[in-house]
This record gives sequence, C-alpha cells and structure tokens, in this order.
Amino acid sequence: MSTLLEVSGVSVNFDGFKAINNLSIQIAEPEMRAVIGPNGAGKTTFMDIVTGKTKPDEGRVIWGEKSVSLLGMNESQIAQAGIGRKFQKPTVFEAQTVRENIVMALKNPRRPFDVLFKRGGNDAEDRVRAISDDIGLTGALDQTSGALSHGQKQWLEIGMLLAQDPRLLLVDEPAAGMSPAEREQTTDILVRAAKTRAVVVVEHDMEFVRRLNCKVTVLHQGSVLAEGSLDHVTKNKDVVDVYLGR
Amino acid sequence: MQNTFIGKNPSVLWFLLGLSVFTVVVTLCSEALGADIISTSFLKTLGKTLCLCLVAIAMDVVWGYCGILSLGHFAFFGIGGYAIGMWLMYARTEDIVVASLQNATLPPTPDEVTTAIGSQIFGVVGSSDFPMIWALSHSLTLQLLAVVLVPGLLALVFGWLAFRSRVTGVYLSILTQAMTLALSLYFFQNDTGLRGNNGLSGLQNVPGLEAVSQATLSLWFFWGSAFALGAGYVLFAWIVSGKLGSVIRAIRDNEARVRFLGYHVESYKLFVFTVTAMVAGIAGALYYPQAGIINPAEIAPIASIYLAVWVAIGGRGRLYGAVIGAAVVSLMSSWFTGGAAPDINLGFYVVQWTDWWLVLLGLTFVVVTLFFPKGIGGVFDLIAKRKGDTA
Repeated sequence: MSTLLEVSGVSVNFDGFKAINNLSIQIAEPEMRAVIGPNGAGKTTFMDIVTGKTKPDEGRVIWGEKSVSLLGMNESQIAQAGIGRKFQKPTVFEAQTVRENIVMALKNPRRPFDVLFKRGGNDAEDRVRAISDDIGLTGALDQTSGALSHGQKQWLEIGMLLAQDPRLLLVDEPAAGMSPAEREQTTDILVRAAKTRAVVVVEHDMEFVRRLNCKVTVLHQGSVLAEGSLDHVTKNKDVVDVYLGR
Repeated sequence: MQNTFIGKNPSVLWFLLGLSVFTVVVTLCSEALGADIISTSFLKTLGKTLCLCLVAIAMDVVWGYCGILSLGHFAFFGIGGYAIGMWLMYARTEDIVVASLQNATLPPTPDEVTTAIGSQIFGVVGSSDFPMIWALSHSLTLQLLAVVLVPGLLALVFGWLAFRSRVTGVYLSILTQAMTLALSLYFFQNDTGLRGNNGLSGLQNVPGLEAVSQATLSLWFFWGSAFALGAGYVLFAWIVSGKLGSVIRAIRDNEARVRFLGYHVESYKLFVFTVTAMVAGIAGALYYPQAGIINPAEIAPIASIYLAVWVAIGGRGRLYGAVIGAAVVSLMSSWFTGGAAPDINLGFYVVQWTDWWLVLLGLTFVVVTLFFPKGIGGVFDLIAKRKGDTA
C-alpha cells in the first residue's frame, strides 16, 4: 500500500464560515475508507476540494507517485488524472440510454476531435457489457436512463465511475434511498472495486458503514475528529458527544 | 444495417429523399426549363428558404443539442453574405469600368481603373478610396475562404472568451446578442468601408456569367442551396449521432457532471459554436446572391432572435424540426408580409397582415412553447409512437 492522495492542512472559508478547518487525510491504494460525520461536518466540501470544484484558501492536496498538486488543475484534468466522483443525488444523463451513459464515461481520449473520429474504440462494447454485468443493468442497456428506478440510477452512476477506470473513487452517500437488498448489492460493488483501487465512501448510515468493514474517518466542523476501525471510533468519547449532541 | 450511420439515423435518408424530390419537382416547374409554374422570383424565395433551413439546423445543433442559446448566428450568416458580396460587387464593377474606359482616347492606367471602381462602389458614401477591408475583394478564392474563416475566427475568439469565463445560460445569450448588436452597428458606419446603411447591392449579377439568364442563374443557386442543405444535414447528423453528440447533449443537461467525467466542456462548446458559425457563413453566402442585396439591418439582433423562434417552433433537438420550422415560418412570413395574404375586414377595423403578422408569429411562439414544447417536429414522435403501438 502506498499513499495515493494526501490532503494536508487544508482550510476553506465560505464568507467567514470555516467549512474545512486544517483538514488532513491520507488515502492509500488500494483502500476502502468511510468518511462519516454530522451534517455540515465538511464531507461534501472535502470531495469538492479533491475534485477541483472548490479551491481551498490554504493547504496542500498531493496526488500519486509523482506527488502532483491537484490545486492547479481544473475538474476535467483531475478526472483524467484518475479521480472519479459519484454525487449524493444520482446525476446520470436521463435523456440518454444506459449504454450512452456508460460509453461516455469509458476511459478513452477525451478531446473533441478524438471523440468525433474515434467513435468509442473496438472493445467498447465488451467493456460496456462487463460494467453493466457488474452493476446488474445489462438488461436495461438500451433503456432511457431517466426511466430507471432510483436505486438503478445510483448503480448506473457507480458503473459510470467504474467505466472511467479511476484510481480513486469518491462516493457520496451511495445507499441513500435504497431498499435493504439494493444496499447489499451496492456494498458488494464497492467492496469489489476497493480490491484494486482506493474508494472513499461518505455515508450517514452506520449500518452501511459497518458492512463495508473498513477504516473510518470521522469529520466534525471541518477537521478530523477520530480515525480507526468503526468499533474504535464509536467508543471515542468525542465522537459519541458529537453524534448524541452532548 | 443496425450499426451503420444511416441505420442509426433513418431521418437522414428520408430527409435526403425529400430534398431530392423537392429539388427535381421545382426544377421541372421552373422558368428556366420553359415550364411557367414557378416564377423566377418565387424560385429565388425557395432557394433562399433552403439557405435559411441550413442556418436553422446549425442553430439547432448549437442550441437544441448543446444548450447554448446563441443570439448571434444570424450575424455569422450576414458576414458570410458580406464576404461573397464584396467579390460580386468588386468584380462586376471592374467589368463595367474596364468596358467603359475602353473607348477612352488614352488607355487608362491601373490607378485610374482602381479609382474609377472605387468611386463607383463608394460614391454613395462620398468616397472613392478602397478601405483596407476590401484588400482581398479582387479574388474569388480568398473571399470564399473569408465566407468560412471570418465567421469561424470570430466565433472562435468570442466563444473562447465567453466559455472560458464559464458564462452560461441567459447571460451568454445576452452576450451573444451584444456581439450581434455591436457588429451591426459597426457595419452601419460609413467609416467601416462597407457602404454603411446602403449595404452591398446588385449581388444577383454574377461576373463572368452575364450571358446566363436570371432564370437559369436562379436555378443554379437553388441547386447549390439544396446541395449545401443536404450536405449540412449529413454533417450535423454525423456530428450529433455519435459519442460527440452524446457528450454535447450531456453538456446541455448537466455541464458540471460532464466535467467530472473528465471532458473539457469548454472545448466542446467552442467546437460546436465555431463549426455552426462556419456553416452559417456558408448559408449566408448562398442566400445573399439570391436576395440581391445585403445591408446591416440584416444582421440586427432581431434576425438572430427570429432564428431561435424558427427552431423553437420547428422543434429543438431534432434536425428536421429546425428545417420544418425555418421553412414554414419564413415562407409564411414572406406570404403575409408580401401583401399576398388577403386583409380581413372586420367592419370597424381592417386587419392588415403586413402589420399583424408579427403578432400572429408572437402568439404562435407563445402557444408552441407553452403547449407543444417539442414543436412541429414533435408530431413525428406521435406518429412513430402510434405505429409502435399498432405494430
């Protein structure tokens, strides 16, 4: 295991409100990591910083063996470097089919002329098939993705993440609004992905986190409150205070 | 068949078939072939309509597919018209001047010829010097290049500045409209060297083809317009059907998400904006020789707004929708405003269509956007759905 992502001493101010306060997190590859914390703890802002949506006021975000800073890169460059993100609300392109959604996400050259002239590549169909098998949507490939159920949209979005073949997956509340059976399948997909890559899951649901069976980072008021196994952090007095509200 | 371009885009085949049949029928009915069913002036109207259809599909790609409501594409159309108009005017004036100076006792020096051409062209604005902007007007090849390159470069620079700053939505529309207004004001100035509000005229006469009658010439332009429309349709269908089409539709629906997939959204927008601007320039270069005259009023912001209205009425996000919208609305517009539509006498008030057409168009636009957001093209969806139900 080597460090893939290193966030150190990062702070962000939103009009005087410190959303992130001197935050430091390290993610190894491969690794599964759960990030938990109450509302407003800075979980989503943390993802925004790593993916380039928000620029921090101070601190460093270092990526990969070559220790590149992600702060000078824009969203698409960061995505191409190998960081994929799944949003809290499922955001697939509803007007297009499941296949089109996956093909768009497939790891391929991303410049307009590449996309215009090399239409997908020869193995595209095989790769689409492999991913749709993984997320259980092979039967729905030619369906408009707007017609999928909420859970299926979540899976499609995870499938699009896998299609990008990223080294780091940032997954925001993947199990929100899912039935118990769907949750189980989602856990399986994520655990499988974490065998070869780094997966960071932001989640509210403790039961879901328990099933992931991984290292947990607890955020509170924009910085790390505790880190370790789920049992370890749930015994931590500070964590209990924060979650139970003193 | 399933995976071929035509197999994926059945509308292309139908469109090309329809366009060919239309072209053949119009040709057979034209004055040039002796049949007197379609007058030369109506033939010109039809040819011009085809050019408007071409700029409308360009607008549909940039707006309906990529989500950029550009209110500047008719300006690119006008620039294309000016570019070809400059050569037409220069070359024809040169022919006339050379012919008239032949009878002079002393053979004219090249300087005298240039001055004579200059005073012929710029006399209306009280000048006889050639402005810099006309430097290439003697060459058909260079002006033809300008038809494509000037709108393309303008779109490239403007688009780069606007998209890079992540200006989107209504703000971008306002920005494109400001560009259009600035351009039309620039063209209005006498100092610009494009004959101010007089514009360029006599464009229906093509130098070197004086022997060809207007009836035949109009037919040639009609064929050229039909070919350009067909080629443009195939080009855009190809662009929007593949993965690039997928990406630009995704940009329309959720630009931020596309960024996180690793696509550089701005490059895609710039590509679409520039390519459509170039096609708009070509459409304009075919239109204005058929219209005979171009002046700065043609590229006023209102023209670009009309373009958006046509596409909305025809149906956004489908190429044939844009063609239908542009054809129906522009032909109706010339019927109503040309005085052919009978006035309605209400006794206390006479509804004159030349005045009331805009009201009718405005109402149609409101009704279509409120009740038929898919436009006229949406009717084809219903037909396809019925067929699917019965099959």
